[in-house]
Amino acid sequence: MRLILSTFAAIGLLGFVAGAAHADAGAGKAAFEAQKCTGCHYTDGPAKEKSIADQLAKKGPELWYAGSKFQAAWLKGWLQDPKPIRHLAYNSLTKKNAGDHPKLSGGDAANVADFLMSKTSSEVKVGVIKPKRSLKGKKIFTKKMPCTGCHQSASKKGKVTGGFSGPTLVGVGKRLNPDWIYAYLKNPTHFKPFKAMPTFAGILKDKDLKNVAKHVSNLK
Amino acid sequence: MKKMIKISLLAAVFGLAWLVNTETAKAAGAEETFKFYCAQCHGLEGKGKGPNVTKDFPVTPRDFTNAKEMSKLSDNYIRGIVMDGGPSQSKSPLMPPWGKTISDADVNGLIKHLRGLCKCQGKAG
Repeated sequence: MRLILSTFAAIGLLGFVAGAAHADAGAGKAAFEAQKCTGCHYTDGPAKEKSIADQLAKKGPELWYAGSKFQAAWLKGWLQDPKPIRHLAYNSLTKKNAGDHPKLSGGDAANVADFLMSKTSSEVKVGVIKPKRSLKGKKIFTKKMPCTGCHQSASKKGKVTGGFSGPTLVGVGKRLNPDWIYAYLKNPTHFKPFKAMPTFAGILKDKDLKNVAKHVSNLK
Repeated sequence: MKKMIKISLLAAVFGLAWLVNTETAKAAGAEETFKFYCAQCHGLEGKGKGPNVTKDFPVTPRDFTNAKEMSKLSDNYIRGIVMDGGPSQSKSPLMPPWGKTISDADVNGLIKHLRGLCKCQGKAG
């Protein structure tokens, strides 16, 4: 009898937890709309951009695969304290990022993060890339196809160098999902049909795309 | 007969207008391509001063407005370096390969755009 009661209690608790998580994502969607995030970001995939002009017309990055791209803890923190990821304003080569992305309260940030983390892409296979030291990945990243030309990154001693046109890779190990980095390198146009970053798939071997993903996801 | 001449003249005027419009559209496409992909290092004006060229940038991106230097480069050399990257022509890997990103038509448009920036022709070859 006690066992039956315990089982019912466990099932009830599970249902409550699942319901609460669902409610959070729903509240997050409501907050996302109430805060007018939809004015700059779209969350319903697949990618909508059909031309460079479409890409340039956007005010902020697409978020329809945010749950595959970001790490939940980072996203929740960033929404409350949105420090610039890009040195330049989105889609601009001349205007500095004003650092004026709206801040969310702790509650809204948790809910919006839940909502965005529910937006995933089946193109991102889970558990393929583990962040780790990859000498080959580092060599490609720094010398063969110098990603540093467009992206900032930090040396072991913390010195930040690199170009300004791409998003910073300082702290990227906490920001991006390693599996997304590889999926993006492998099939970038699935996520961004028009992007200022070259496509390296077909130029670098698949194994090396994985090496770069390991190296990038290991950056501090 | 007069009617025939009038019709021919009208057809010629419309044809010319269509040609001008098409060429303008092509030129706009090449400029858009240049600004989207190339300007991040070469600058919106093509002078080699894009936002990636910080004090740490180890090379000087080419100034496309320098007619003297640009006239030394053939169109095929430019096509090769754009599509296959700097190392394919013994230049810096900071010039990445765009061959899997842009089309042959895009690179042809870019070459025309660069020739417009330098107001020069390339050497043969």
